[in-house]
Amino acid sequence: MKTVIKKQRKGYFGDFGGQFVPETLMTPLAELEEAYRKLSKDKAFKKELSGWLINFVGRPTPLYFAKQLTQKAGGAKIYLKREDLTHTGAHKINNALGQALLAKHMGKKRLIAETGAGQHGVATATVAAALGLECVVYMGAVDIERQQANVQRMKLLGAKVIPVISGSKTLKDAINEAIRDWVTNIKSSHYLIGSVLGPHPYPTIVRDFQKIIGEEAKKQLKEQANRLPDYLVACVGGGSNSIGLFYDFLKEKKIKIVGVEAGGFGIKSNKHAARFEGGRPGILHGTFSYVLQDKYGQITETHSISAGLDYPSIGPEHAGLYKSGRVEYTHISDEEALKAFMLLSETEGIIPALESSHAVAYAIRLAKKLPKERIVLVNLSGRGDKDLTQAIYHIQKMKV
Amino acid sequence: MSNRFEIVFQRTKKEVRPAFMPFLVAGDPDYKTSLELFKSIASKADMLEIGFPYSDPLADGPTIQAADERALKSEINTDKVFSLIKEIRKFYSHPISVLVYVNLVYQYGIDKFYRQASLMGIDGVLIPDVPLEESQIFVAAAKKYKVSPVFMITQTTNNERLKKILKVAEGYLYLVSVLGVTGTGNSLGKETYDFIKRIKKNSKLPLALGFGISTREHIANAAKAGIDGVIVGSAIIKILEANLQNPDQAKNKIETFVSELIA
Repeated sequence: MKTVIKKQRKGYFGDFGGQFVPETLMTPLAELEEAYRKLSKDKAFKKELSGWLINFVGRPTPLYFAKQLTQKAGGAKIYLKREDLTHTGAHKINNALGQALLAKHMGKKRLIAETGAGQHGVATATVAAALGLECVVYMGAVDIERQQANVQRMKLLGAKVIPVISGSKTLKDAINEAIRDWVTNIKSSHYLIGSVLGPHPYPTIVRDFQKIIGEEAKKQLKEQANRLPDYLVACVGGGSNSIGLFYDFLKEKKIKIVGVEAGGFGIKSNKHAARFEGGRPGILHGTFSYVLQDKYGQITETHSISAGLDYPSIGPEHAGLYKSGRVEYTHISDEEALKAFMLLSETEGIIPALESSHAVAYAIRLAKKLPKERIVLVNLSGRGDKDLTQAIYHIQKMKV
Repeated sequence: MSNRFEIVFQRTKKEVRPAFMPFLVAGDPDYKTSLELFKSIASKADMLEIGFPYSDPLADGPTIQAADERALKSEINTDKVFSLIKEIRKFYSHPISVLVYVNLVYQYGIDKFYRQASLMGIDGVLIPDVPLEESQIFVAAAKKYKVSPVFMITQTTNNERLKKILKVAEGYLYLVSVLGVTGTGNSLGKETYDFIKRIKKNSKLPLALGFGISTREHIANAAKAGIDGVIVGSAIIKILEANLQNPDQAKNKIETFVSELIA
């Protein structure tokens, strides 16, 4: 499609982004933008956030040289940024905490969240409990089925988990429901979106709360190896852990950056979530980006073994980075992700989330082709405890 | 610009009643039944609002979501909606507005969509997920093909925004009665009453009220507040939903409901 909707204006990353939402949300979005603009410059707020990140989340997270995995791959050195070691076990809490504090400062009493794998739901339920806020989490019925442990966790933390039975019953439908709730309860509630998605200013706010991942990693690698990495690798669902790692490195033009999408059963099978190879520009959930859709623009169903990557669109900033060529995007199949899941567990004693396993799989493939002095830095965005039942089921099936 | 809208609102004003504008999803539950339903409702409708079914209708409540799903299941698409409207135009001469989500317009091609809308005799296009800030390219295409760009106004729309919207809006303003999704309003409380009053004071365009209008009392109260038209969607579609096994019965029940609603 040749038509370009709007160029280089507020809330856009190149051609992508914007605010495609019902009129009811425009005033609340403007209020959110203004509140964030003020607070992000406020010293007391920064100090408050930083205190919570250190004492509650457990930051900074370690940067770990995966020596055995590196030997196994037989090429470049693989470093892991251990976001799996944060409180609640994934990078999601960085954003959940930041936005919850923001919401509290705005006088909101209630948090609305959507969740796919359940990690963002758990993170939001956790910070809601810690900050004394009410919390409602929308989750697709299919995802509830495959992420039972996280559902129990959210309930224990005092959140109300609402199953979503419309559409494909996964993350995209949970976002629809969360937006419907927000439209109805805008006065009391903040919609705490879990990724760099949705209408402006969300993609910017979420990225700002996640960019600490890359900032820490840069400093840590300098201390450990006295240099910058050659490659960055992260998995991309909506794209928050990846943009979190990438952002501080974007200006270092020599560093090659790779985002790994869910290849599912392969592009030809039509059962995947590879938005760049399988999709085209379109609008979903308030933002103009790459979308998996049919000829007429009806959103199509996606597939990935990992619930966190199973989403038909991608953050607009990623679409901008794809278009400009600054970041390369590729995909890894369910099977290859599972193999990486097993390999990292066996070689390093680290059980990665199935989402992060996609990044690990690509990093292994990449490291093999590179000389030993090169460095590949991987964001290990979450831990795999939540995936055990699912993964073991599929591993057994694979062996048969 | 759109004479059909002006003519209707002038007439209903003279008759001292709000214009009645039923809403149905095109192709719900299938193309043929849908056309029959439009035929049966046409004689009572001062205007028609027709929805393009969409996979992710985030401004709609469960009733219209289910209607969209039924239509999509029967393989309705943008081209088929246009051909349905072409057939409706053969027996219906009053204004037709369509409600369509932005991705459908964008994927069809913005220019092509408005050209086709104009050719099929559509008077107004409302895109619920295109607010004023993103509307420029859509409004330009609408004006090019002499189709009215219709905008939603909500309780969160302050007077400053209203003023800006009025600079580009045509036909009528679609007032959203409550904070929420379609089908959720169950009474017209003081907030809604004050909201209508405020917009009435600041707008020369006719005002049509929608979202949860389902009883004669709703319509009477809205009229008292100064509304020029009422949009009734979910209440009608609920009747269809309850009688899917028997389309004739659905048609009869909807006719009875509408007759009593606007009597």
